[in-house]
Amino acid sequence: MTFVERPRSACALAGALSAISALPGVIPIVHTSMGCGGNLSGMNSFGAGYWGAGYCGGGSIPTSAITETEIVFGGNERLREEIESTLELIDGQLYVVVTGCMTEMIGDDTRGVTNDFTDDGKPVIALSTPSFKGDSYSGYEILLNGIFNGYLQKTEKKNPKLINVFGIIPAYDPFFRGDLEEIARLIRGLGLEANTFFTPDQTFENVKSAPSAALNIVFSRVWGTAFAGEFEKRHGTPYWVTDLPVGPEATDAFLTELAERAKVPKRRVKAVIDRENEIYYGYFERTADVFCDSDFKYYAVTVTNSNYAIPLARYAQNELGWVVLDAFVTDLLHDHQKDTLLSAFGESGIDEAGLLFETDTSAIARSITRRRPENRGERYFDAYSPLFILGSSLEKVTAQKRGAAQLSVSFPAFNRMIVDRGYAGYRGGLHLFEDIVGSLVFPKG
Amino acid sequence: MAGKLKQIAIYGKGGIGKSTTTSNLSAALSVMGFKVMQFGCDPKSDSTNTLRAGQYIPTVLDTLRERSSVKASDVIHEGFNGIYCVESGGPAPGVGCAGRGIITAVELFKQQKVFEELDLDFVIYDVLGDVVCGGFAMPIREGIAEHVFTVSSSDFMSIYASNNLFKGIKKYSNSGGALLGGVIANSINAGYSRDIIDDFVSRTKTRVVEYIPRSITVTQSELKGKTTVEAAPDSAQAKIYLRLAEKIAVHEVSETPSPLEVHELQGWAAEWSDQILALESGVVSGGVKAGI
Repeated sequence: MTFVERPRSACALAGALSAISALPGVIPIVHTSMGCGGNLSGMNSFGAGYWGAGYCGGGSIPTSAITETEIVFGGNERLREEIESTLELIDGQLYVVVTGCMTEMIGDDTRGVTNDFTDDGKPVIALSTPSFKGDSYSGYEILLNGIFNGYLQKTEKKNPKLINVFGIIPAYDPFFRGDLEEIARLIRGLGLEANTFFTPDQTFENVKSAPSAALNIVFSRVWGTAFAGEFEKRHGTPYWVTDLPVGPEATDAFLTELAERAKVPKRRVKAVIDRENEIYYGYFERTADVFCDSDFKYYAVTVTNSNYAIPLARYAQNELGWVVLDAFVTDLLHDHQKDTLLSAFGESGIDEAGLLFETDTSAIARSITRRRPENRGERYFDAYSPLFILGSSLEKVTAQKRGAAQLSVSFPAFNRMIVDRGYAGYRGGLHLFEDIVGSLVFPKG
Repeated sequence: MAGKLKQIAIYGKGGIGKSTTTSNLSAALSVMGFKVMQFGCDPKSDSTNTLRAGQYIPTVLDTLRERSSVKASDVIHEGFNGIYCVESGGPAPGVGCAGRGIITAVELFKQQKVFEELDLDFVIYDVLGDVVCGGFAMPIREGIAEHVFTVSSSDFMSIYASNNLFKGIKKYSNSGGALLGGVIANSINAGYSRDIIDDFVSRTKTRVVEYIPRSITVTQSELKGKTTVEAAPDSAQAKIYLRLAEKIAVHEVSETPSPLEVHELQGWAAEWSDQILALESGVVSGGVKAGI
């Protein structure tokens, strides 16, 4: 029997709730037993650098809070009542009923109930998000499908400049806001328009305009790719699956390919890249003294979800010149998803590292020790030291035991506050450099 | 009270005569002087109808739907000869979870220690045919019934349902669940039907407690809203129910059955199909030749 120890994800409902809470104008209505909505929101916030609850999040999430009576007799009427109250009390532009395990087990006709609310100008949709359908990552996909491929109408009108950004998952990519903002800044720098949906600058109008986009970018090899395929079938928007660019080398390549796909003149993209590099290295060069003189040359192990594995390993190798030993992927993946990621990893040019799939914190710690043993007094020993673990807060103990440095860059990141920080792009590359070197010059213990 | 409370669960395929048999068993035990409660565990809530002149009674769950807490005494209704009748009830067809409803209803009685307070000799659970989910296995799980009897005819689908029940009993047998007392063979009239059921019980290592023939007396009694024991106490059929009750009253040791695997059951059924055809083939071919 396998089990997940110290999980880095929760149920599909949690994933859907984290995404809804970042979508402006979208109100969740949780149809499940008491506690699910508040607890899952708490976990989403805690694990994503104290992201917080937001409008109509956390303890304010409308929930049917069913009890045994609804389990036995069905919860449809309780849900109807909850929807009515929510529509009356809470302003929103789209109300999304998301379900938990209990109501799915007893087979409540959630969609049947929401269908009765279609006529009064306040749209209510129902999505099935019990834990047995999948984890938080699949909850994100279910939500995207429900809104973009289910609720949004097709449109003939296309905006050749508009690009939708998907694949960066609220909360489970703890830097999602900063990352999305930087990606949007880069896209806009090419004279294009960007929908990031999940950042505070966006409104529900961005959601509504999504079907008219000319391109969807999915910054995930596994999460949201099937959704983007369906989006293309429904709305005719092609999609591009790529890794999140972190640091100048990856971002130069990203912008070059984006310009080709979006038909931006080469001259323009070159000007953007040159300017961005000038700024990046303008900052970076002043750090060179401390970085080189202090000999901040490390072996690196990354412990992240599948979205961050390749970008971080590539950054550590190509931008810092570090040797990446292992890249652990902690989300639960199907074999075909693992194959996709392995093949992308193989093509990413990361020399030494192996991509390892492991969900359990102690197994990751054991694996690091087994694959890179500690010196136990041998005279000649390949020490793999000093070591830097780019992981989650759960890797803190492993790092302490191993005498390694550590920075929390993946979910759950609860030993730091994350606001608009991101590691994507040029600016993100500098931020990551700041955080890594900052943790070395002033370790917090 | 004659002695220790005995809790019995009666299972069997829907429509096989389970409630009829259970109600007659309750009636017979009651006539013999025992204090009996019949607990219908079926959302249809018609188990105890013939003990109450065809009258439906408010169910545990109907009452629970209206109120947040229910006193067990509110949902116990007296029937023929002082038999306590309870119906668990359930949600409307197609919604909610009937299985959970059974659990809720049974737990309510257990928590309120009703059986002890009423000083009962027998609680008989009449449970919906196929054990479709955990809820319907509630009465055979730890701490509820000790003995299970299954009502079965010689029809294959009825035997199939019994075999499934045996699987359920076997599953819970290691964790203190109820064990199998035996099969109550119902509607046993044709010569071979007795042989079929005898063969099935021997293969599954159990026994037939009683053979109950199909009888017009039962139909007549039910049309009057009564059990045969009440409506025709001197009939041959009533005597059979009394004999069944006597056997169950003294029944002490139940055992774990050995259910057949699906392919074994199919193979077994195919053998019987050939035998029955052979038995009747003379008549069939003669009929064809003579009549057409």
